[in-house]
Amino acid sequence: MNDTDEREWQAQERAVQAERLGLDSTDDDTEVRRYRLLARTLRERLPDTLPGDFASQIAARAAAPPAVVAAASDRFESVLLAVLACLLVVSAGVVLARDGQAWLPAIRATLPAADPQDLRWLLAFVGCLGLSWLLWQGLLRSIDGSASVRVR
Amino acid sequence: MPGLATIETRLTGTVAVTGLQPLAAGTYPCPMDDTRIAGRELVAAVLAGRPGAFERLVREYQGLCWHIIVRLVRNPEDARELCQDTFLRVHRCLHQYRHESTLKSWIGRVAYSIALRHLERKRIPITASEDDDGYAAMENIGSDFDLEAACAGEETVRHLHEAIETLPPLQRMLLTLYHLEELPIPEIAGITGLASGTIKSHLFRSRLRLRNALEAGKGVAV
Repeated sequence: MNDTDEREWQAQERAVQAERLGLDSTDDDTEVRRYRLLARTLRERLPDTLPGDFASQIAARAAAPPAVVAAASDRFESVLLAVLACLLVVSAGVVLARDGQAWLPAIRATLPAADPQDLRWLLAFVGCLGLSWLLWQGLLRSIDGSASVRVR
Repeated sequence: MPGLATIETRLTGTVAVTGLQPLAAGTYPCPMDDTRIAGRELVAAVLAGRPGAFERLVREYQGLCWHIIVRLVRNPEDARELCQDTFLRVHRCLHQYRHESTLKSWIGRVAYSIALRHLERKRIPITASEDDDGYAAMENIGSDFDLEAACAGEETVRHLHEAIETLPPLQRMLLTLYHLEELPIPEIAGITGLASGTIKSHLFRSRLRLRNALEAGKGVAV
């Protein structure tokens, strides 16, 4: 920026400050007076504006629809998950009934003979899995509960 | 383009004009801190689901969003819709706000990006090339012309409003944020992601262009 531009910028800025402070323009030098009308006009309120109840409308929209949409989406996901799980179980049953005779004995032959000690460990392992699952479900339920309170 | 030192000088000048005595170093109340604290409390209230908190947030910042969006997209209908989108997105994403900038800047940035995407979809350029912004005409204007005295009429103000409307969207918005919202240049930079120097350059050139338009209308220029 050269000296002329710098002087021009200073005049623009002094006009802005003078308008903000509501100073009398008779004290301004010619350069500043050139920008006073411009600075004043740029500070005028814009003609169109938002409706008076805009804030309450938006607050109502923000609170209600997403909760409904989320609930509907959650329901859809649960139903879809249940249907897919049933489909998986039925398919596994069908495959087992149809082709199981061919490969089940071979699998059984590869497994070591059942030891009561191993069985206890297996039961303990299944018990741990079940307990973890129950705790996880409880945690999820408590998170859901606090989220729905927040949305309200 | 003046640096921070120049702005500092201007502010010192303001203190002298209003007759206020400067306080000792470190005792100045910091409005930015107050704003940040108020913003933090408001965000906490909204996230805690306190009744009326989000409505208060909208009411507080709807003017800023309106100014950003309407100056960029111009069409009031589109602007209203985009303002709605802005606040709905603010509501959805407020938990992601990390208080790194003021709440005002953060919300302004959401409004700016939404309006920008709207303009991109409509293939409307937000700024003009340097050749089109009237900068070159500066030397051609008479320096002793008293525009303030000559341009007092309503007709002139109307003409000036029309000239503002012909500015590219980005320049219109920057002028409104700086003059009407009285946002400092660093805060405008926070909203738009533009460098402070670029913002100053836009302000300088667009004000020059408007002055040219005014003086040309009065038969002074070129």
